[in-house]
Amino acid sequence: MITYSSFDHSVWPFLFILIAGVLPTAVWRWAGVFLVGNMDEHSQAMVLVRCIATALVAAVIAQFVFAPTGALAQVPLWLRAAAALIAFAAFLIAGRRLLVPILVGEAILIAGILYLEVFPSTLL
Amino acid sequence: MFKFRVLGVAKPLQQREKAGSSAPETDPASLLPSTGAPLPRFGPVYDWAWFPRGARNLFSLPSLILCSAFIGFGGIVREVGIPPWQVIFMVPAIWALPSHLVLVAGIAAGASFLTIAPAVALAAMRMMPMTMALVPEIRVAGTKRWHLLLVSNLVAITAWVHTLQKAQEIPPRGRLPYFTGFALANMLAVTTTAAVVYSVAAVFPPILMAGLYFLTPLYFASTIWNTARFKAEHLALAFGFCFGPLVALVLPQANILLGGLLGGVFAFLAHLTVLKRQRVT
Repeated sequence: MITYSSFDHSVWPFLFILIAGVLPTAVWRWAGVFLVGNMDEHSQAMVLVRCIATALVAAVIAQFVFAPTGALAQVPLWLRAAAALIAFAAFLIAGRRLLVPILVGEAILIAGILYLEVFPSTLL
Repeated sequence: MFKFRVLGVAKPLQQREKAGSSAPETDPASLLPSTGAPLPRFGPVYDWAWFPRGARNLFSLPSLILCSAFIGFGGIVREVGIPPWQVIFMVPAIWALPSHLVLVAGIAAGASFLTIAPAVALAAMRMMPMTMALVPEIRVAGTKRWHLLLVSNLVAITAWVHTLQKAQEIPPRGRLPYFTGFALANMLAVTTTAAVVYSVAAVFPPILMAGLYFLTPLYFASTIWNTARFKAEHLALAFGFCFGPLVALVLPQANILLGGLLGGVFAFLAHLTVLKRQRVT
């Protein structure tokens, strides 16, 4: 099994990042350059590619809400979920502007954390 | 052969006429009739005066959100214990936040290259349709394939959305420089941000770090919703968001890969069902 810490050499981590992170990302961009004009952007295959690509990023997004790391992990799940869902609902209602979900989501999250700090364990 | 086909003569010509009225310089190539053959070129291929104009847009809301999202990322890599030079290398070299997150999560879990690389590849799949949408906008007569291959490495959601929105206001020869300027400025700012945060992350109060981490899901969900071309993509966003955590309950390591694949396939099946129904009625 080849992992990030397989070899002790100082160049290995960079090589690992290159083959496990940089190349798997870059090939899609290069494929895009080669496929322009050769592949119909409205074909069903393209819809499938876009659906899977979108759902994969959505799964990454979900991880931030349901299983985050770091400082966000200290915030209770119900607060993260409520902030995310209300923020997205506000985004859909308020003309799909980028600033709306950012302000609403952050306001609920920060207000919730502060509330829990002042009144610990009053909610859940 | 491909070289002649990729030039996409018809569409850029119309755009050139539109943009020509606002721009003082008229493209001599646009005066020639469209024959489908490669156009003879006069003067430089690109108008690099648009490079600093693109770079100047670093002071915009999306760039600010992107930099803030990378403050969160700087905190994550610090927790995982990846040394600063590797962070400074991976941020611009990968240049796609979902790929960064999947790679770092994989490294943190001590996962094998054979597990991480396919997961990163799938998380970066969006780069292909994004590049395919950008190329016809920035390509002009005289654009070589290697120009596009080089510039494609800068494709990521922020600069991509911004350039597609602005493309009609920019003369065709200025679009590739504009995109490059904006993307490189973002790359520099974001890498610096991640590196600086890395060295001072312990100083940030947890409430601030939590708020900054939370920017990433908010930013990605709304930008991807806005840039969807088919309704099925909206469904895919919702399905991926639900299936990811559901898969995590059964197979904790495979939530992104399997949840994403299932979500995408189900959204596509829904798309096909709707298509079939429309054809019947």
